[in-house]
Amino acid sequence: MEAKPSNSPKSFIDQSVAPGDVVLDLSSMANQTIKLGGGLRQDCDSISVMKSGKLRFVKPNKYWVESSQKRYVPCVGDNVLGIVVDSKADNFLVDIKGPALAFLPVLAFEGGTRRNIPKFEMGTLLYVRVVKANTGMNPELSCTDATGKAAEYGPLKDSYMFESSTGLARLLLSSPTCPVLEALGKKLSFEIAIGLNGRVWVHADSPSSVILVSNAIMNSESLSEVQQKIMVDKLLQRVQ
Amino acid sequence: MEHRLANTWWMTVNEKKFIETTLLSDLRIDGRRPFDYRRLTIKFGRDDGSSEVQLGQTHVMAFVTSQLVQPYRDRPNEGTVSIYTEFSPMADPSFEAGRPGESSVELGRIIDRGLRESRAVDMESLCVIAGKLVWAIRIDLHILDNAGNLVDAANIAALTALSTFRRPECTLGGEDGQEVIIHPPEVREPHPLIIHHLPIAVTFGFFGDENIMVIDPTHKEESVMRGRMIVTLNTNGDVCAIQKAGGVGVMQSVIMQCLRIASVKAADMTSKIKNAVESYNTERALRKIKRHSSSAALDVNKPDVKLENQNQSVDQKEIGDLSGHHVERLKLISEERGVSHSNSMEGLRQSPEQDKTTRDVNSKGADFDVVETSLALHGALIPNTKLEESRREKPSEADPGQLLADLEPAPSPDGAVETGEQTNGKKTLVDAVKPKHKRRKKKSSNIDAS
Repeated sequence: MEAKPSNSPKSFIDQSVAPGDVVLDLSSMANQTIKLGGGLRQDCDSISVMKSGKLRFVKPNKYWVESSQKRYVPCVGDNVLGIVVDSKADNFLVDIKGPALAFLPVLAFEGGTRRNIPKFEMGTLLYVRVVKANTGMNPELSCTDATGKAAEYGPLKDSYMFESSTGLARLLLSSPTCPVLEALGKKLSFEIAIGLNGRVWVHADSPSSVILVSNAIMNSESLSEVQQKIMVDKLLQRVQ
Repeated sequence: MEHRLANTWWMTVNEKKFIETTLLSDLRIDGRRPFDYRRLTIKFGRDDGSSEVQLGQTHVMAFVTSQLVQPYRDRPNEGTVSIYTEFSPMADPSFEAGRPGESSVELGRIIDRGLRESRAVDMESLCVIAGKLVWAIRIDLHILDNAGNLVDAANIAALTALSTFRRPECTLGGEDGQEVIIHPPEVREPHPLIIHHLPIAVTFGFFGDENIMVIDPTHKEESVMRGRMIVTLNTNGDVCAIQKAGGVGVMQSVIMQCLRIASVKAADMTSKIKNAVESYNTERALRKIKRHSSSAALDVNKPDVKLENQNQSVDQKEIGDLSGHHVERLKLISEERGVSHSNSMEGLRQSPEQDKTTRDVNSKGADFDVVETSLALHGALIPNTKLEESRREKPSEADPGQLLADLEPAPSPDGAVETGEQTNGKKTLVDAVKPKHKRRKKKSSNIDAS
């Protein structure tokens, strides 16, 4: 691909970029501080792309490359859905779809002491927060927020969980609300927990609603807004 | 140990309970009803006898090849069918490369039993010389993606590949009538296998305690189900095989009900397979018709020509491979004779066709010297054709405006595989490929030499 050392970074924002593209020329932006997120790298005066995806920019000065994968790379601060695989003396071993199993300390719960350690059987679904994520080490999780309160973290009971890509999870979490969720929410009532690692938990009163919601979401990643709404309408019509 | 744990696929308690409870109300997690199959897509490769089947997200490929071998002692006039499965690690995190696991062996056995016990493929027509040479049919199944119900998908793939496979025709000849000449597809049309019926495998999954069963379970349903039964039957109402390896016990009435449902599904599946095979056959026949069109038409239909050339040449290579391995070793002399025999035949046959196509087939190693002196080209991408002996006799044929063939050194000692490249001289492909000029020079030098 042609490397355009463009002076107007706006030409690349929200565009698909490939590794090797030069997207910013720092010599033209002398007194600014720029924050680079994932997928970008600085080579002297130019910022080049390392990962293929879409270049994103948020004011005032954050740039990063966003792509959608099935695998998850743990990042500090992410809210993910994990599955308990094993329990040791000090930690629970939790699978978060990353390269390594994550540790959830046994005391990382609100009001957690040695006396009231929760018992999770194998296969329990948890909504957790990533506390430490260094390459090569097992990530560390927590079931409390930064202040120590429980705040929605913890085991998710019943209902259904499915796996999708990280891009879809980000789409579902975006604001304004994703069109699929909006269209579904108008007709059905359901509860949903989205993990940035691509896992989504859906809960509704009737199993058919759960199935409908989960299938609608799974199909909606590559569709545009209008297409998503049409798809949801068709699905709802078939059921009713 | 931990690393392996991280790469496996985990099932949550929530999903298990959910799948079981929704099945009580006849709902499945992908919205199907309990006795619905997922969407079936059957595609064929360019070779005869290769098929690709997608059942939902489950993806299986099948390839059928044949070889001449000595028959088993207790069945001297029957050919053999053998099935090899390859569970690629990209299909599922639990598949490992190398040693076949239990499920891989089971899958191979089920499909094999369905074909062999029911005598779906006619074995006696595969006999060439009783007691000495028979055709051994080999089916290779490659599992590309495991989204549940591999057995059904692999069975359909095997059946469609068998239905479209053609084995080369061979005749007895030579001095004492004991030498076998294998004819390349251009000389004699290869034969399809005689398949009496299609044994279709239908998989049932059993859940819970109340005899809930589903057809065509997905990957998640397979981890939740408590028992599995695979029924192989055909449209004539014959039950070819039943496999139930452990799992939860089922009542006899449930088994009979499964058989009834399976026969309905088998009829449906058979008609789909037959439609797909028919459309493939008509397409193949159409391709053959273009083979004898004029060169002007060839210019226009260049992509089609390339397609059929590749088809021809791949057939050729296939035959070269299979015949090369066995017949060459068994009867080398006869092949030489057969070669000269067919060459002279082709030489005669060639003349009316020289204007039309110079793509003639030389079956065996008569072109060793030409082969050795020419260069290799892009290998697999280039359609393989064989340089005709008679082309040497008529160097004018090598001019642009006719189809050219270039040679590649035969890698195997049997020399049966000669590859070349075809281009239409008027088009830019000739210009695009540099070594062509070298080859032309070498060919002309060979022509001069010979």
